[in-house]
Amino acid sequence: MHIPDSFIPIPQAAVYWLIALVFIALALRWVRREMSEEKVPLVAVLAAGVFALQAFNIPVMMGTSGHLLGAALVAIVLGSPFAAVFVLSLVLIVQGVLFGDGGLTTMGANIINMGVIGGFVGYYGYHGLLSLTKSRFASAAGAAWLACIIPALAAALELTAAGTFPLVPGLVGMGVYHALIGVVEAAITAVVLGLIVSARPDILERAEGAPI
Amino acid sequence: MIEELFEIERLAYGDSPVHRLDARVKLVVVFAAVIALVAYPVDGSVYLLAAVMGALLLSLLLLSRVPLRTFLLRVGAILPFGLSILLLQVLFPPVAFASPTVLLTLPLGVEVTAEALAKASMIGARFVLCIGFVVLLSSTTRLQDLLTGARRLGFPSEFTLILGMMARYLFVFGQMFVRVRNALATRCFDPFDRSLPYGYRVRQLGNTVGTMFLRSYEQGERTYTAMLCRGYGRDAYLFVQKKPLSRRDWTVLAVCMAVVCGAPVLLHLAA
Repeated sequence: MHIPDSFIPIPQAAVYWLIALVFIALALRWVRREMSEEKVPLVAVLAAGVFALQAFNIPVMMGTSGHLLGAALVAIVLGSPFAAVFVLSLVLIVQGVLFGDGGLTTMGANIINMGVIGGFVGYYGYHGLLSLTKSRFASAAGAAWLACIIPALAAALELTAAGTFPLVPGLVGMGVYHALIGVVEAAITAVVLGLIVSARPDILERAEGAPI
Repeated sequence: MIEELFEIERLAYGDSPVHRLDARVKLVVVFAAVIALVAYPVDGSVYLLAAVMGALLLSLLLLSRVPLRTFLLRVGAILPFGLSILLLQVLFPPVAFASPTVLLTLPLGVEVTAEALAKASMIGARFVLCIGFVVLLSSTTRLQDLLTGARRLGFPSEFTLILGMMARYLFVFGQMFVRVRNALATRCFDPFDRSLPYGYRVRQLGNTVGTMFLRSYEQGERTYTAMLCRGYGRDAYLFVQKKPLSRRDWTVLAVCMAVVCGAPVLLHLAA
């Protein structure tokens, strides 16, 4: 769902860029203030790791494949939606400038969709579901699924607002496709969280402020 | 995507008049070209602009001696998502046209009109050229030069430092990714192998992904500690030496910017 250049007119793209910049600034402030010390380098290195994780092709259904987005995972593990904004913005900048995946003018919109919406939906979805179901893995899976499909719907709406996408067929197309991909995102996120709980519970403890 | 990283960087270490240009010149020209293409209104004269920009791109590409095949493969790898948006747009036009000429009627009352097709091909032309410019930029400029160039252009020091750290570790994790994939392959594990239960495959992949996540987190912790030992702190910033643009850089910048800015304005006035 990396919106390429030329699908969003410049004035709208500029608005998305402004909103994205505000969130990037907030994310920078979060890394400085909340992550106990000046842990900017840690998050930068983690962003490179997330970029590599996205390279794993994961079978979905009927021969199609998807890959992890990681917004929900990063937000849950580091304990803040801003972690996802930070990491995903870095990943999207590299993808946009180095590979041309996701446009330069539309990068703001992409950061809003995958970083901001993905991160906030992932983080608050996880904590909302956690208080309902009490199951860490089910809520992580649910949050990851939502953090995959809602950004896709947001991208469809942005493209419709730009006049380059039909509303209903677009929502249905993007929605169905990402609902399928989201299943993989959900499963992988739950498995990864399980691994972290058994291997490095201290990371999550710090994120959630309570022993596991 | 990450496997291509090494190939891109290898290309960027080549030598040609375009490689030798200052990264600032290339960054400014590519961003200006993309903005000019996107800002140009979608009407018939967009093809003329596309022709001018395409000629500029092609001449830079030939000068840079980047193999045409590699270039086209890289551009082609990015196209599918944009093309699927265009396809949906042709099948279900978002705006109704005044007097549509129906070319083809598909089942379920879906009609392909000449107007929708024309609009999609205009957007498509801009879209392909934009990708072309970005791919040319990264094929002819080393990652480190891109970063220092961006810093010299006024990109915030703090953000350049972070992006630089990320860029360095991209290659570390790129190699890790290749090693992990080879390790899975030596154990005859294929995530697309249908004879294995789906749940098993997802669990195995999830554990692999999780291990890489933890390894990158721990690499981050080590890097952070090592940086603290060397005096990293709140006031650390990336020092980049000032470097004036050479006369050659200025000439290329002036010529390219004249084309990139002049062509859309003149074409729009003429149209």
